[in-house]
Amino acid sequence: MSLALNAQLLFSGVSVGSVYALVALGLVMPFKAAGIVNFAQGELVMVGAYIALFLSVGLHLPFHLVVPITMALAAGFGIAIERAFIRPVMRAPEFTIVVATLAVGLMLKNGVRLIWQDNLYPLAVPFSTDVLALGPVRINPLLLYMDGTAIVLMALLALFFRFTRQGKAMRAVAQNPEGARLMGIRVSWVFSATWALSTAMAATAGMLLGALFGIHPEMGHVLIKAFVAAVVGGFVSLPGAVLGGVLVGVAETFSGAYVGSTFKDVVAFLLLIGVLLLRPHGLLGTPLARRV
Amino acid sequence: MSPPQRVLILSACMVLLLAGPWLLGTYQQYLLNLVLVNIIIATGLNLLTGNAGQISLCHSSFVAIGAYATTLLYANVRLPFWLALPAGGLVAAACGALLGLPAIRLAGFYLALVTIGFLEVTQILVHELASVTGGVRGMLAPRPSVAGRLLATDLSLYYPVLAVTLGMLYAARNLRYSPLGRAFDAIRNSEAAAQALGIPIARIKLAAFTIAAFYAGVGGGLYAAVVGFIDPVEFGLWASVRHIIFIVVGGLGSVTGSVLGAAIITGLPEWLRRFQEYSDFVYGGLLLAFLVFMPRGIAGALADLRRGWHRSRARVAAIGSPSQ
Amino acid sequence: MTFFAARDLTVRFGGLVALRGVDLELNQGEIWGLIGPNGAGKTSFVNAVTGVVRVVAGQVVFRGCRIDGRPPHEIARLGIGRTFQHVEIFGDQTVRTNVIVGLDRHVGYRFWSSALGLPATRRLEQQTTQEADGLLQAMGLGAYRDVLAKDLPFGILKRVDLARALAARPRLLLLDEPTSGMSEAEAEQVVETCRSLARDRGVTLLVIEHNMRVIMELADRLVVLHHGEKIAEGPPDAVQQNPRVIEAYLGTSPVRA
Repeated sequence: MSLALNAQLLFSGVSVGSVYALVALGLVMPFKAAGIVNFAQGELVMVGAYIALFLSVGLHLPFHLVVPITMALAAGFGIAIERAFIRPVMRAPEFTIVVATLAVGLMLKNGVRLIWQDNLYPLAVPFSTDVLALGPVRINPLLLYMDGTAIVLMALLALFFRFTRQGKAMRAVAQNPEGARLMGIRVSWVFSATWALSTAMAATAGMLLGALFGIHPEMGHVLIKAFVAAVVGGFVSLPGAVLGGVLVGVAETFSGAYVGSTFKDVVAFLLLIGVLLLRPHGLLGTPLARRV
Repeated sequence: MSPPQRVLILSACMVLLLAGPWLLGTYQQYLLNLVLVNIIIATGLNLLTGNAGQISLCHSSFVAIGAYATTLLYANVRLPFWLALPAGGLVAAACGALLGLPAIRLAGFYLALVTIGFLEVTQILVHELASVTGGVRGMLAPRPSVAGRLLATDLSLYYPVLAVTLGMLYAARNLRYSPLGRAFDAIRNSEAAAQALGIPIARIKLAAFTIAAFYAGVGGGLYAAVVGFIDPVEFGLWASVRHIIFIVVGGLGSVTGSVLGAAIITGLPEWLRRFQEYSDFVYGGLLLAFLVFMPRGIAGALADLRRGWHRSRARVAAIGSPSQ
Repeated sequence: MTFFAARDLTVRFGGLVALRGVDLELNQGEIWGLIGPNGAGKTSFVNAVTGVVRVVAGQVVFRGCRIDGRPPHEIARLGIGRTFQHVEIFGDQTVRTNVIVGLDRHVGYRFWSSALGLPATRRLEQQTTQEADGLLQAMGLGAYRDVLAKDLPFGILKRVDLARALAARPRLLLLDEPTSGMSEAEAEQVVETCRSLARDRGVTLLVIEHNMRVIMELADRLVVLHHGEKIAEGPPDAVQQNPRVIEAYLGTSPVRA
């Protein structure tokens, strides 16, 4: 196939991948902070999209207000979820955490279905979505927004972790919770903040996906791709998660185009199993020893 | 319990199980069959998750594999049902071993992720092989006939399903208290100690995956026979979560727990029909409540009660007797 | 035939060298003490011998076969047992079941006859239970046999750990601080158990111990590790006088009461 088409595929793969990366970042942060893998992260993506839907369609807010308000509301929602459902099982075995977060996801989906049923809603965006032509390469401008948003958010996140007191506190807790506690860092506050950030990322991903594919209760399915992305990145590395997301996006776009749309979904799992078996600590990670 | 008491209770149970369904309507008989099927499925998952401590979010895939394999072998290959059913179980068991090969190297979250991957791939396969499986449209599963007799009614199906269920429960209970069952519990508690005692952890986990998948497969074969129709929606992630609800509510690691959980949760939608819209709230809430407040489930609570009762009886006896 | 020998054993965690070229040879029926300050590599030595951590260089020979590089369960099946410093007990099982798991090694899994509940398996189950009860009685744990292990205090769990390791009938037993968390009287009982194991059953023991009184009383010979290297070996009295050992324990000043 032509170079132009390949460029087009690469671009849309990277764009979709950057949304996976956003969701994956939201998975990695609570895992680093407290060892929690959140199987309800997909539902948080969905809830974020519905919050945006409510603000823009229900309250007729302009789009430039919808985005920040959605992120703020989602952050608050994340804190509430963490306090109410995650805190009580935090020290429990992994099985309990997996099942508890799945249960939270079930309840969230049920709640959304009660209000909006199973309909597919579009999320209107206030700019032209006509296809742009860059020479022979055709690009959906929404994808540009996806890339832009993802890059801005990741940059902000990186700056936050590097330069702010709160960001440094979060890194300290991820490194050594006991030590951080002794240093006077309020670990419980850090857990909440982690969830706030994760949910805000998820909500952003939800808005982007909603604008591109529409909003519906099953859109949390994106979680599976984000899991693959996080695993490829070693699950504890933020840059790894970004790399993983892009890799998954590109891999599935190309396999979808060249092999067939069924293979598009299978390739993510092949990637998952391959990475787990060959490099169980991710492409960037290093193995940890367990003490007996 | 004294032996005569035991015999009495057991025979009362048998009479109830054998004669009871005659007093029920056809819908209740159908439900009862479904309860039995779910008991088999839950028992398998409980051996894997409750005893061997391995998370699985793809138990429903093995149910699917068993259901499709049994139905195809029975309806298309024309194997007699009593052969197609265990064969379907074996196909599922083989797939369980196949999943086990990568899974035994992983634990916890990673294992959960790989099992989700397996579930998705199974779903895709069922969709893609539509010429055999009917894809999204599903597939009719003919009623089985055993010894030349068509088991047309739910009541006639009940007895063979009951027999299979009791047999598989008996085997599960025996395994629980065998070296293999103890090895399951050992690796869940401490892999380090288990291997220091010579337990080959990888092989034991593989056995757990295979056995669990066999139970799920047989359950799936019977499910197809009971319901008469199978489609991939019935075997998605939600179904797997439901299987987990069975064992969490009933009691992890306990055969009694599998029975109680499957019976209660299968019956639940009937009792909650007025709240159908809120069903996932109920399921999610139940899961969270049990995980936080009753992590050993109903069976665990019953065991604690019994233990407490024995202890207080022992105390009364000690007070009653002259001190040494 | 060499009963047990570690030759030039080296273990590394990332950049950290946990063991550097350790040599040790044990004869059957001996009781050895493995001592050294914290972080000397004592537990790493046990982990390396039992196959839990990878041996980077050197070899481990047990009854004539190389065992380094083999998986832990195979090494256990060859007859090397161990206990754990921070007891790795099967917490939600009864004390009796903990011990039965040790005994099960000699029974095999017999999947089909177990699942079908054949009479032969039932008899075997009864035998195993009786054997476990006998062992528990002998270890003074008879009263706890139906208690869930997680409900017991540390000192008793150390004994359960030992009983469970014994149930697997090892030829070489590596004990990681077997008397920690115990009273003097309980520790004395463990010492007695170890002695009779070596004397009556020919079990070889390698005991990591912080309680110097216990180890001096129990061990025939001592080996001392420091920063992952062997610094001394020999009869307890000689080792106790060894200036390098004194230095390792007390820093540079050789003052010791």
